[in-house]
Amino acid sequence: MAAQQFGDSLKEKFGDRVLAVDAAEPDQLRVEIVPESLVEVADYLYNDQGCRFVINGGTDRRERNGKFLITHFFAQDEEKLYIAVHAEVDGDDPRIDSITPTIPGANWSEREARDMVGVVPEGHPDPRRLVLADDWPEDLYPLRTDVEHGVKPPSCAGVAMPLVEPPEGASVVPIGPYFPVLEEPEYFRIFVEGETVVGADYRGFYNHRGVEKLGCSVLTYNQIPFIAERICGICGFVHSTSYCQAVEQAAGIEVPDRAEYIRTIVLELERVHSHMLWLGIAGHIIGFDTVLMQTWRMREPLMWLCERITGNRKTYGMNLVGGVRRDIEPEVYGDITDVLAKIEKEWRALCDAIPGDPTLMARLKGTGELPEEKARELAAVGPTARGSGIAIDVRVDHPYAAYDRVEVKKCVYDSCDNVARVLVRLDETLEAINIIRQALAEIPDGPIMAEIDEEIPPGRQAMSAVEAPRGEVFHWLLTGEENRPERWRVRAPTYANLQSVPTMVTGDTLADVPIDIGSFDPCFSCTDRMEVTDVKSGIIRVYTQDEMLALRESKQPAR
Amino acid sequence: MLSKLKEAILCFAAGIVTLMYPFAPHDPEEDFRGYPEVDVNRCIGCGGCAAVCPARAILIEDIDQTTRRITRLRERCIYCGRCADVCPQDAITMTKQFELASDKAREDLEHVCEVFMATCKRCGRCYEPPSPLDKIMQPGYRDDEIKRGGQDPLYEPVEVSSE
Repeated sequence: MAAQQFGDSLKEKFGDRVLAVDAAEPDQLRVEIVPESLVEVADYLYNDQGCRFVINGGTDRRERNGKFLITHFFAQDEEKLYIAVHAEVDGDDPRIDSITPTIPGANWSEREARDMVGVVPEGHPDPRRLVLADDWPEDLYPLRTDVEHGVKPPSCAGVAMPLVEPPEGASVVPIGPYFPVLEEPEYFRIFVEGETVVGADYRGFYNHRGVEKLGCSVLTYNQIPFIAERICGICGFVHSTSYCQAVEQAAGIEVPDRAEYIRTIVLELERVHSHMLWLGIAGHIIGFDTVLMQTWRMREPLMWLCERITGNRKTYGMNLVGGVRRDIEPEVYGDITDVLAKIEKEWRALCDAIPGDPTLMARLKGTGELPEEKARELAAVGPTARGSGIAIDVRVDHPYAAYDRVEVKKCVYDSCDNVARVLVRLDETLEAINIIRQALAEIPDGPIMAEIDEEIPPGRQAMSAVEAPRGEVFHWLLTGEENRPERWRVRAPTYANLQSVPTMVTGDTLADVPIDIGSFDPCFSCTDRMEVTDVKSGIIRVYTQDEMLALRESKQPAR
Repeated sequence: MLSKLKEAILCFAAGIVTLMYPFAPHDPEEDFRGYPEVDVNRCIGCGGCAAVCPARAILIEDIDQTTRRITRLRERCIYCGRCADVCPQDAITMTKQFELASDKAREDLEHVCEVFMATCKRCGRCYEPPSPLDKIMQPGYRDDEIKRGGQDPLYEPVEVSSE
């Protein structure tokens, strides 16, 4: 009912500027507005209604109605509601007012929409390129329907990344282009004055894989879960679950109860092993390798268990539209309980030791601070948000799979530093074990896959979110012709969390930077589909290719 | 100090856990999804595997009116096992084999099978009679996309000018 009421209140407030309200599902609201009033609507949702900004996405619908569809997604967690704000913009000269001055968290996604579909955010404070490579042609927008998925424009030599000048007197310390601990492509430029960090510049998106384009132009509904699962190497199951849920919702497919429980169990197993992996890496980053050795040792039996349940340690390949492919046989229940009991015992011993360890606390306490209001502005999610005192958790706020039938506790700490983010994850691991036990006790018998007889009709849409170990994963789907989605938008949690790095590192010493970055469990591969800037002066320069080339020439010794 | 002691206990209690792999074999669990083995004698050339393959690793070509060639580019295989799921002849089995590293993966892992097909009297092309595959509801094969113009866009991308 919340959706209807919320829709009505929007209609009342904005009158004619709200063109249509669709509250078909109680937890999903879709409104269509005139593009000119986007900033006002966004401001109302974000500042007056306490909504959280999720992401935006652009869709090329020129073949249908000659327009681009720009959709901004918000979440109203108290009302258990996801809101899609659609605005149609002109097909020949697509422009829309930028909401980044109102909601800083929209910075990246507006630039991404410009890069990918060519809708220009007017008044954007940092309109540089984000996702595409430096040498990608200016007028080629990969997600437009008239661009083929295999397109590879000729590369252009001598193009360098647009560097941001450090504040006066500061030196630059580069970290990258491969993050030394996570072995993933990223490039941080840390600006330091002596030992103290005064700002940071980030450039990523080095490894664009075109996952969304593949999903909307080549693959079919049941091929996508396997590609979705490969968006992230650690928390892949969340993506396939989220995608499948979106299709199921759009097509009105009832998923059998048993399949929902199996998804819940596997999602929580994934959370346990992901948090264990993270704690090990966090230990490794601060030079405490015993933590790495021990947590990964504890984790290994769990990986074998996953292999037994799903057929692989990772990338489980369990999900299909309509349910899961493999059942968990009752004789495995005992093994799951045994493995979890052993992990729980050792994890509790670890939880007991860590908060009292002076070495760890000296490194973690008071570093990487992300104040609550900043976390909300930058749209942080998951343990990063919960470590800053923001009690959001998709499992509780927007229950999916079988989470409405098990008890889930939100683990929240408010010290806003690295310690808080460690403690959140320590608690969550135990909580996840608890959830698996509840699910195993209650799992009903029955089919694991829904019978699907009819084709999925085009033009339907659905929003689906899953609480990944790193935070909220969000998928939006618009069904299309030819057995594939017309548009599939994915927002991985690191995309949201990475934007808070400059805030976290500023004021810390250089030695703390790796753990600050590591503290939100970054997964650059999830995000790779480019970048942030925070400079003390607040001035952001945009370099064109020619300027960059000229700059590069000027810095080179004469030949 | 107390914490350090607790940590030490945790480490010592674990004992030695290192496996001797690769000097001693380490078998994966039952139901592991490893290298997909194909029983070429059972294959009827229906193309169901090619239609469901998320990695588009299976190519179907009708090389003449009676022969269908099925090429499996195992270098692209993601071991999801969908082909084994949908095969109406149970010709594909996911094995426990996972040690597939090779410096010539593309050639070493390529698997080709040619199936003798009946010819349609009307159009003269290979066909298969209606089978349980009708349930799969997947339109079209994907070979045209991968081997367009005899070139594989995955290895030789289509070039467009930047103008």
